[in-house]
Amino acid sequence: MTRKRFSIWLILAVAVALLWTFLPMYWTIKYAFMTKTEIASFPPLSFPPAPQLASFFNIFGFDYTLPDGTVIPASGQARQVMLGLRNSMIVSVIVTTITMVVVLPVAYVFARLEFTAKGKLLAAILLSVSLPPVSTLIPFYAVYVQLGLVGTITGLVIVTLTITIPIVVWMLIGFFRNLPPIEQLARIDGFSRLYTFTRIIVPMARSGVLVASVIAFLFAWNEYVYAQVLVTGSQAVTLPAAMSGFLFQVPEPAHLAASLLVSLLPPFFIAFFLQRHIAEMNLV
Amino acid sequence: MNGSSARPSRSSEPTPHGAPKPRRELSDLQFALVVTVPVLLFLVVVVAYPLGYALYMSFHDIRFFGGYSAEFIGGENYAGVLSDSAFWGALWLTIRFTIVTVLLGLLIGLGLAIVLRDLPPGWKWLRALIILPWAVSPYGTGIFFAYLGRGQTGFGTAFANALGIDEAINFISAQWVIEYLAFGNAWNMAPLVAFFLLANMLTIPKRLYHLAALDRMNRFEQFWNVTLPPLRFTLFVFSCILTVLALKTFDFIFTQTQGGPGNASSVLTYLIYRISFVNLNLGYGAAMSFFLLALILGLTGALFFFWGRKVSR
Repeated sequence: MTRKRFSIWLILAVAVALLWTFLPMYWTIKYAFMTKTEIASFPPLSFPPAPQLASFFNIFGFDYTLPDGTVIPASGQARQVMLGLRNSMIVSVIVTTITMVVVLPVAYVFARLEFTAKGKLLAAILLSVSLPPVSTLIPFYAVYVQLGLVGTITGLVIVTLTITIPIVVWMLIGFFRNLPPIEQLARIDGFSRLYTFTRIIVPMARSGVLVASVIAFLFAWNEYVYAQVLVTGSQAVTLPAAMSGFLFQVPEPAHLAASLLVSLLPPFFIAFFLQRHIAEMNLV
Repeated sequence: MNGSSARPSRSSEPTPHGAPKPRRELSDLQFALVVTVPVLLFLVVVVAYPLGYALYMSFHDIRFFGGYSAEFIGGENYAGVLSDSAFWGALWLTIRFTIVTVLLGLLIGLGLAIVLRDLPPGWKWLRALIILPWAVSPYGTGIFFAYLGRGQTGFGTAFANALGIDEAINFISAQWVIEYLAFGNAWNMAPLVAFFLLANMLTIPKRLYHLAALDRMNRFEQFWNVTLPPLRFTLFVFSCILTVLALKTFDFIFTQTQGGPGNASSVLTYLIYRISFVNLNLGYGAAMSFFLLALILGLTGALFFFWGRKVSR
């Protein structure tokens, strides 16, 4: 158990783990650096023969000239992609903020205070975690048509909150339960409930709050099912919905890979720097 | 309550101005109600209402051709689902996909956790790389595994050709597509499982491993008797999480196979999507979605009943 150095088996195991982690991503992402003809060649190429950045220029609306003089024209969907990037940012930030403001006190109450019907309320919140989006999709769509919320950022924020709130409540309850009940002492000392909450509990729960907000952000950023139905082709299109144009209508693997890579940067950045805190989440 | 005097000083001594002023404070119950009721109301409006609407639709025959009409037909949609061979086929695919996802997710998570645990000091940063697949969205994972698995573009073909075999290796075949999908789903979720298992493993006292060495346990016995027992609760919780996620999965399959080849990967969520959005048979789709919901609650309930009660933190 307490091996201090690499043995040959450990090196092998690490190599397999890295291959498992990166091969599936690499296989698609490499298209971003290849031309159409290179992608279409058979047998498939494992490495881009002449890596270039054309796709990244194309998806943001610029032509790109290869060294041999061929011009790869900008993508017709560039506007959607840029709009999607902007909207994804807006939706994710709004959703994260609202989720955290609303959920922190709720999770605290469920973790610390005893009151009647607590079990049932908790069960109701958890039930909404297990609802499959396909069963609420049509009702949402029908209601949104009547309210004029189809194709709006407001509409998308509301649906996304139904995903993030229950999950984050669930995660934070476990986290609050594990904190020492110092705030009881503060209450005995005569501090008000609000003061205790904002000045003692939330700062004590810093890392939990951080991870929970990051998870809310990830869920909002990665949401695709509702976006595909509610905002595709509208002014409120998000990045995943904008990208699906490269997948279904006119398949453009190079542009798809480039925009996928762009969409992965924020989640990767977050996961990379927060990994040591993830298991503090008391999901369990 | 008056602002300046109500704000307590930061010192731990009692308030300098004698006894604290009597303040009107909320009782625990009132406080709980004030913060939870708005959130619950929001969830009721945006979750229960669509669900109620779906329930309404499931008892009606809804038509769009020749103007919208909804005719009450009682339980006919539900009866229709039960005698629909497409439903039973999709149900079987869904269960197969779920079981394989849970098994692969837990096993691979366990494997990754052991590798991450044994990393020598100075190599811990590798953990930050292994977590990355978890941050990939389900639709992104679907796209990755679509290109990775297809015979025309896939890794299998490239690998076979490198070995001199001139043949297209297609993982997305009617026979194995469900297992391949589960494999991709496990790729997405295993890092999270691994991180939680790792956190558990690090709390196991080293003493126990010394004792195991004294007992001359081999590696497997040591893993089975020392490492595994404290992980049981985490494994149970993740089997529930993976079950729910696998049963709910839609975007991952939508971007990867669109239910194909043929109907080979048309799991329940995908079948419901086809019925509701392509065939516009809303009442029927809604009825079927309640069978799916029952399946989700039933399977997690069964997991708890047969396993969860026996393990605790």
